[in-house]
Order: sequence, then structure tokens, then C-alpha cells
Amino acid sequence: MNTVDLARLQFALTAGAHFMFVALTLGLATLVAVIQTRATFGRSAVHMRMTRFWGQLYIINYAMGIITGLVMEFQLGFAWSGLTEFAGNAFGSALALETVVAFFVEATFLGLWIFGWDRLNRWAHLALIWVVTLTAYASAFWVMVSNGFLQNPVGYRRDGDVLHVADFGAMVSNPAALVAFWHILSAALLVGAFFMAGVSAYHLARRTTEQDLFRKSLRIGAGVSLPAVFLTATFGGISFETLQPSKIAAWSRDTAQLARIQAEMAGLHGPGDYLPPTDWVFAGGLTMLIAFAVMFPMAGLNVLLMLFRPVVRDLRVWHWTLVAAIPLPFVATLGGWVFREMGRQPWAVYGLLTTADAMSPLTEGEMRFSLFAFTGVFAVLVVINYWLLARAARRGPDGVALGAERRPRAPESSDPVLTF
Amino acid sequence: MEIFILAFFAIGYLVLAGTDIGVGMALPYLGRTARERREVIAAIAPFFLGNEVWLVVTGGMLAGLFPRLEGELLAGHPVLVVALLLSWVLRDAGLWLRSRLAAPLWQGCWDAVIVAGSWGLALSLGFLFSGVLLDIEGPSAAVPAAVLAALFAAHGLAFAALRLRGRLRHRAAVLSGSSGNAGEVRTFVLTAAALTVVGVLAGLRLPLAENVAGPGPAPVAILALMPLLVAAQAWVWWTFRHRVTGPSYL
Repeated sequence: MNTVDLARLQFALTAGAHFMFVALTLGLATLVAVIQTRATFGRSAVHMRMTRFWGQLYIINYAMGIITGLVMEFQLGFAWSGLTEFAGNAFGSALALETVVAFFVEATFLGLWIFGWDRLNRWAHLALIWVVTLTAYASAFWVMVSNGFLQNPVGYRRDGDVLHVADFGAMVSNPAALVAFWHILSAALLVGAFFMAGVSAYHLARRTTEQDLFRKSLRIGAGVSLPAVFLTATFGGISFETLQPSKIAAWSRDTAQLARIQAEMAGLHGPGDYLPPTDWVFAGGLTMLIAFAVMFPMAGLNVLLMLFRPVVRDLRVWHWTLVAAIPLPFVATLGGWVFREMGRQPWAVYGLLTTADAMSPLTEGEMRFSLFAFTGVFAVLVVINYWLLARAARRGPDGVALGAERRPRAPESSDPVLTF
Repeated sequence: MEIFILAFFAIGYLVLAGTDIGVGMALPYLGRTARERREVIAAIAPFFLGNEVWLVVTGGMLAGLFPRLEGELLAGHPVLVVALLLSWVLRDAGLWLRSRLAAPLWQGCWDAVIVAGSWGLALSLGFLFSGVLLDIEGPSAAVPAAVLAALFAAHGLAFAALRLRGRLRHRAAVLSGSSGNAGEVRTFVLTAAALTVVGVLAGLRLPLAENVAGPGPAPVAILALMPLLVAAQAWVWWTFRHRVTGPSYL
């Protein structure tokens, strides 16, 4: 592997890990906000317990999203300074707006939501989770504007070796960004819905306490999964209209078209290999489509089955199917990202800057060091965090610490046996 | 305008996140048992997420408003940047994970990670500043780096003295003598001012003016949003203005 391959591998691993967590964050935040709205308006105790339980899982998951996200932000300047120097004023300003418009407010208010549970007026507390959810959407929007610019650069002016924003409106309304944003938002909702349905089904199958709470949760998860899968597929379908010709050619394995694009690009940019890795693009797209082929009928069936109370209560086969289906939307989103990002190669900014030219002047040793350091730490943290998430999901609402601050509690060190 | 924006977020980070970095560094001194340490962490818990975003935004401002400088700063100090990010990541993981399990070994390990991460963060920032501010690289940069780390620790102690009660407050107030609340406030103002001076001096040494990315709608939008961001943070600081009364979620 050369230095560029190492840097690409590092970014792919960081971005992939990041998206695993933020997809669930986006989906779960929405569902938690809806449930807390119901709890606040109806003064419903069971919905408040649901808010705390799903909110706890949301926060455990959130921690890894922010950790991987902040590394990703600095990796751009660290390993890809060629990209930030070339497109900083255009691509970089969308990222800059993301941090100010979205993430700053999201993180500030999330802290207030977590720690202000019993201190704030309940309407203010409800408003907070909505602000957190909407700013998370805004965050996804600006990230997709940045990514959309790399996929399909529009609204720029080129001065020598630097791009400048010429038409900010065109940059923000870039179809490669907007369609992908809605696709990803629906996919995140699908991730959250399958997660909520699967975890609830586990508790229904195991006959744990709080059957009512998990029946309600299962219905929310199952009910949301159908519109979510429908919207995801719709926007995914539309996004095929916004793809680069080389990505479409790689996906349809159209060798004649690939050869034509290669000749055309070589004519424009000089000799070189201008085709994306066909196998990766095809495998990524196929993974996504197979997962959808399973999830689509499953979501339809879920909505039917959830209408029958005895089925929700007792149909074990369905329960365990839902548990087994939790990873499906995750697999689909990863496949989708491989398709989208591999299909852009060898370009960092399509048609303007190659990935190799986007690299920072780092030595192979420096790149190897940072790749191993981050991969090692992230691998450990991801495993620990997923283990913790599964543990909190299994233990159910009784083990929830979120919002339990003011309750009487046993001294921590007196009897550790009880806590396992 | 761009320089003001960058300075605002960078100095905001030093002063605000300096408190929780410093408390993390002083954790073994402030909290002698697992329970005490959790109470010490409760002093920074509601703020640390809202504090670290100031560095995330500083990074965003570098990327969007000073892209060439961002590349030089980050790619120019690969080892320091990796050390800084790893310390940051591990410290955050420790804070988020430590109280999710009551097992003493689990909490002890994460406490150690929080302390190591806080020191790592302070020292790698210190090395970066000694490179940028004093042009000192290599082993001799350890001296200014240690000075800055000590300043972070002092800032953390000063903050902890304002947030904790009883024995823990007494330990944290070691820098303020026995002059009570007024002395604690004075110490905190002094450490905050010192960190601000460090930030301003570093900014003066950086070639900021010649690296502004050029015209665009972002700076104006950011400037217009700043009062809103400050108000959001002020709400957090106002809500948690009282001394901590026990462990929190973290």
C-alpha cells in the first residue's frame, strides 16, 4: 500500500465507524423526541419511561458518534490538506457552517437535556430534544452539502489553484447533496426504527417486565419502518439521476461506456486511470439493494402484524426475526457509502482534483503511525461501546441512569455484586 | 472579521474547555475514592460537551476561513496532532463510559484514562503552542509545554473550587489560600486571563491576515449567529451555576 492508500483506508474506516453511530443517532433522536412529546402532552408515565430508556441508548450511541466525528474533521486537514487548500473556500465553508450552525447548538443543548432532566421546566426540556434533533438534521444537511460538492462540484469559480464560492445558492441546492440528504435522513430513520423494533421484540420474546412499554415501542418501530424504507428507496432511486457517468458505468458494468469515459477524461486531464474500482462500486450497490429487498417486504409485514395484539404479544418467530434484522439497515447504509465514495474515485473533487493530489505531504511512516493508532483505539472503543449498548438494551428500563439523578441511590461502592 | 471569529472560538475553547481539561488532570488529587472522583466529574459534566465544541468549531473555522493555514498547522505537526486527537478521544470515552458500570475495576481504569487523556491533551496543546508561539521544537519544547499544562491544571483547580463543596472544595482551593469565595473567584479570573493571553499571543504569531480564504457568505452568517451561540451556552452555565450536590449522569 502506498501513502495515499493508507490515508484512504484511514478515512474510510473513520467515516464508516462514524456513520454507523450517527445513523442510529439521527434515527433514535427523532423517535425519542416524538415519544417525549407524547409523554409531555399526555403526562404519560409509561411514555416518560420510554423516553428515558430509549434516550439512554441514544446517548450511549451518541458518544461514539461525536468521538469519531471530531477525529474525522481534523483528519481532513491532517491527511487531506491538498483538498482543504484547493476547495477550502467552497467545500470548507460548508463544513465550517456545519460546526457553527448545527453541531455547536446540538452539543450545547444535548448537555442541557442530559443533565437538566429534573432541573428544567418540562416544556423547556421537551423543546431541547427537538432542537437537538433538528440541529442533528442540519448537521447532516451541511455535511451532505460538503460531500455533494465533492461528488458534483457546482457554484464555484476557479482562480488558479483554488476554488471560490461563486454561487452559494447553487452550492446549497446541489441535487447531488439534497437528494442524498433526504436519502440518508430516511435511512437513518430506518436504522432507528429497526433498532427500536428489534430491541422491543427481544424483551417481548423474553417476557421481561414492562411488556406494555415494549409493545408500544415495537409498534412505533414497526410503524415507522414502512414509510422510512419507502422514502429511503424513493430518494435512493432519484439519486441515480444525480450520479457521475463513471459511477453509473461501473455499476452497470458497461465496459463500452467505461472505455469511452476513460478516453474522454484522458483527453481532458492527460494520461492516467480515470475509472473507479468497478468491483467495489458494484459490491457496495448490490449489498444495499439486497438489504432493501429483504427490508421492504419485512417492513410491510411488520405493519400488518403489529395490528394484532396477540401477535405482538406472543409471536416468537416474528420477535426473533426482528431481533435478527437490527443489523440490516446498518449493512445497507455502509454498502451505500462504499458505492457512493468508491464510485467517485479517482477524484476527490469530481473532475477537478484527484485523490492523490488531495493528500497532505505526509511520509509513509507518519501515515502508518496515525492509521494504526486511530484504528487500534477505535476498534477497542467501538467494541466496548456496542457491548455497553447491547447490555443497556438487554437490561431494560430498570437499569437506566438517565434522568434518575435525583432518585435515592445506594452508595456505589457498598455492594458491587448487586449491580451486575 | 475572519480573524475575530477564529480568535473568539479558539480563546473560548482555551478558557472554557481549559476548566474541564484541568479538572481531569487534577482528578487523582481532588478525588481520592471512586465516589469522590464521580462528584469531581459532576462538577464538569454538564459543560464538557458544550466546551469541546469550541475546538470543533475552531477546526471548522480553520477549514473554511483559513484552509491553507489549517493544512500547514495540522499536516505540519503530524505526531502532535495524532497525540492530541487520541488524548481527546480517550478522555471523552472515559468520561462517557466510566459511570455506565459500577464495577470498581471498570471505573478505576476509565478514571486513569481520563487523567492520562487530560494530561495528553494539555501537553500536546502545549507542544503545539510552543511551536507556534515561541518557535521552539524538539525536546526543549517540553518546558513551555509543561508551563501551559500547569496553567490548565491551575485553571481546572480554580474552577473546581467554585463548583465543589466541603472537603473537595477545600482541596481544590489550594491555590486561593483561605480567602473564601472571593479568593476562589480571583484565582479563576487570573487563570482565565492567562489562558486568554496565551491564545492572543499565539494568534498574533500566526500568519492569519495573509491566509484568509477570500470572500464568501460564511463569515457574515457566522458573525450573525454568534449571539445565539453565546445565549445557548449562557443558558447551560446559568442552569448549572450552583455547586454540585452529588454525582450526575457521568
